[in-house]
Formats: sequence, C-alpha cells, structure tokens
Amino acid sequence: MTFEPYSDEVRKLFSHPEHAGEVDGGVESFVEDQGVRIRLTMAHIDDRIEELRFQAWGCPHLLAACEWFCATCETGTLADLRHFERSELMQTLAVPVEKTGRILVLEDAVRSLGAAVRDTST
Amino acid sequence: MRDDLIYLDYAATTPLDPQVAELMSAMLKNDTSFANSSAVHIAGRRASVIVEQAAAQLARLLNCAPAELIWTSGATESNNLAITGAARYRTHRGKHLITMPTEHKAVADVFRALETQGFDVTWLSPDESGSLDLQDLDAAFRDDTTLVSIMYVNNETGVLQDIAAIGERCRNRDVLFHVDAAQGVGKLPFDLASLPVDLASMTAHKVYGPTGIGALYIADRPRCHVEPLYYGGGQQHGVRPGTLPVTLIAAFGLAAEIATSSMATDFEHVQALRERLWAGLQPIAGVVRNGDAENSYPGILNVSIDDIEGESLLLALEPLCVATGSACNSQNQEPSYVLRALGRDDALAQSAVRVSFGRMSTESEIDFAVERYRESVERLRAIAPGRAASAT
Repeated sequence: MTFEPYSDEVRKLFSHPEHAGEVDGGVESFVEDQGVRIRLTMAHIDDRIEELRFQAWGCPHLLAACEWFCATCETGTLADLRHFERSELMQTLAVPVEKTGRILVLEDAVRSLGAAVRDTST
Repeated sequence: MRDDLIYLDYAATTPLDPQVAELMSAMLKNDTSFANSSAVHIAGRRASVIVEQAAAQLARLLNCAPAELIWTSGATESNNLAITGAARYRTHRGKHLITMPTEHKAVADVFRALETQGFDVTWLSPDESGSLDLQDLDAAFRDDTTLVSIMYVNNETGVLQDIAAIGERCRNRDVLFHVDAAQGVGKLPFDLASLPVDLASMTAHKVYGPTGIGALYIADRPRCHVEPLYYGGGQQHGVRPGTLPVTLIAAFGLAAEIATSSMATDFEHVQALRERLWAGLQPIAGVVRNGDAENSYPGILNVSIDDIEGESLLLALEPLCVATGSACNSQNQEPSYVLRALGRDDALAQSAVRVSFGRMSTESEIDFAVERYRESVERLRAIAPGRAASAT
C-alpha cells in the first residue's frame, strides 16, 4: 500500500487556487475553528452569484475544498449556498475522514455567508 | 538525484554511496556471497571473512574492538535491544531508568513500554536550546538507577548532547549509559575508546549505506551485558541470533570505511551548506530557528515560521523532499513533540520544517530550496485571512 495523502484533484486545486482572494465590497463570512480560518466574500445580483472568493489558513485539503466550493458555486444561485453539502466535496476530493472537522468549518462559513446575504437583504 | 525532486532529507535516510552500491551489486551477483557465515564449508567461511572485515571497518570508525559490535536490522532494533536488554538484565540492581522526551521514538517508545512493565522512568526535559542540563541529571540519579539513555545528535534539530560528561556521571555511579548515535556515527567523531559509553546504537542508512542493517556497540571494558530479545541459532553470542545478511554487512563496513576517510570533508561541506541555507531563509519574516545554532550537527537545519500551516507548506515546497516533525513520523501531522519539549507552541511546532543534507547535496539545491521556501510562504500568506477579520 502506498501512502499518497492527496488526490490529483486536491493537488491541482491547491496549486492553482484561481478563486483565492477577496471581492471588494462583497458580502462576507469569517469562521475560525478546528485550528483553521476561512473567509468567504461574494458579490451577487439578486439571486445570482456573480463572484465568489476565499481566503483560508489550513491544510491542503481545506484550501482545495475552498477552491472547489468557489469554483462550483460561482455563477450559481444563492440557493446553492443553502444546499451546499460536504459529502459531494469530500468524495470528489477524496478528503480523509479524519479531516471532516475542517470541512465542517467550510460548511459553517458557507452557511454564515448565506445568513449574511439574508441580513443585508432585510 | 532524479531531475524531478530535490532530496534534502538526509537525516531520515541518505542515498547509497556509489561505491557501496557497486559493492552490493557485485556481491548480489556473486555465487558465494549469499552463504551462511556461520556454516563451516568454504562458502560459509568466505562469508565469515567478509563479515569480520566489515566489523573491522566499522570498529575503526568507532575506535572500538570488532568483537564489541553486534549486527542488527537497524538503529530501532539496536535501541530496543540495548535499552530493554540492559534494563531487564539489571533488574536485580533496580528498575529506575533515565532518558529525555526529545529522544527518537525508537528510544522513547521503548521506555514507555518498559514503564508498563514495572520500570520507573525519569524523563529529563531539555533547556530551550535542546540540551540536557547536567545538574538535572545529577539530581535524577537514584540508588536503584540502572540505565541512562541520551542521544548523541537529535534527529529533528541536530542538537548535540555532552556524551562525555553524561557518561562520566553514569560511570561514577555504576549506571549503564546507552547512546542512540544513529545521527552522529560517520558524521561526527565518536571515539568509543575514550567516551564512557556502554551501549551505542547506529545504522547504515544514515551514513550512505543501505537500509536493513545496523549495529549495537556493547562495551567489553567495563563488561556490559544485555538480555536477548529473542532466541534462535546462537549467532552473535546469542545476543542477537539469526543468519547474518552478509551483503548488507559488507555494505555497512564499506560505508563506515568511506566515512572514516571523508568525515572532515563531509563536515565542512554540510557546514557551508547550512550557512548558505540559513542566510537565505533568515530574511523571511517570521522565521524561527529551532535548536542551538552552535552546539549542533550542521547537516540539519530546523526552522519554523510564524502563522504558516505546516502541512500546506510541505506540499507547497514540492519538489523539495524535506520533513516535518521526525521523518519516521511524517504521516502524523501532530506538532513535533521534540519542538514542543523545547518550548515551541503548537503553531510554531506544527510549521517546522527540517532540512537535512549531506555528502551529495549541492549549493544549487540549497539555492533552489531557499527560493522555493520564499515563494511558498509568500503564496500561503497571500491566501490566508488575517486573524482579526470580522465576522458578519
């Protein structure tokens, strides 16, 4: 059995995080837990997500997960934030089960972003 | 080295010296080198001569008698045999043992196992530089102390312990002194004729020999005894029975002979490389050097960096082959217990990278490592949010 901690997808997303950064003036969420930090910023027009960016401090799986989330949900709708689930992400990136806690932090950050949108809309 | 990687993990294991590789290749193709060196037929006697010659080569490096060397599978086995074997042999004298929490796991875990078997272990913490305070050692001795085990060169930081002074204190109290010398043998002088050491563990693959072969020095004067860990054909005086791997032993012998003649040159070489590496890394904001800069083996440089996640740093550094924590434990991303013992907090210990180099390392590899490290830190910092970012 060989020890390869990262899938090709994780390596690719970690090496080329095209959605790393921030959206000036966008809605944002920040969560710090489980020894990691995630900040998401987003611009949206009505229900449509126009731009989604992340900043993160954590392991390669977490950084890759943040990039995957932004790439997947950008150009989607706000409903995508509500429906975000870690299971597809963990399967696609082959995230080891012991890192579930860190991926849950991303899930919290996504929910927090959704809540921020609702707050700014009211 | 292969074009697609830069190997800077010599403290984990060194590449084979080309002469050693050539010898092994020739022996593996030879029609009699495979023979059992305990056999009385001519092939066995030839193999026996090869083993004796290798013992003489290793003994010259260590300045000891060939008969004081026992072949093992590596330093882990040597440590197990030395510590467990000596502790058990001396139970009539007592069951108190002394070591440090900064020892390699191949030592520390042996002591932990002995603790479950009724032995009492005193763990002496190092000072901030990683060194043992000799006054702490003096205070730790008891009437029932039978064994002290302290490593020569720390595998994570390169910090050296004062083997002569520790050994002297043990001799004065008739306490056995074991040294895990795996990181020091062949790289630094380790003269067993003058050092008050009773037991010393070493391995070939840290000194440009193959994996799978090591040795345990058991002093003859004063006579030191260890209880065997297992039993078999009575080879090696019954201390470590089993058919000897002649090719591996010959390879270890040659690696030792090469080390004897090249030690001074190798030392100057790695010293220059470490200075070059540190000069390159030092300007990076937040870089902290782990371990004593002066009192350490220069083939190892361990650095932490403030607010950088260690696992991501390690991946970003590819194709550099460096280590976080101890290499033997690199699948475990817990902060280094050695650096925690030196007083580093979890974050700094977790971001620690050990760069280690040796005979085959080059200036261009070091320059590449510096550049890669700078780029990686810059990239990870650019991605990271500040701690004070506001939640909405």
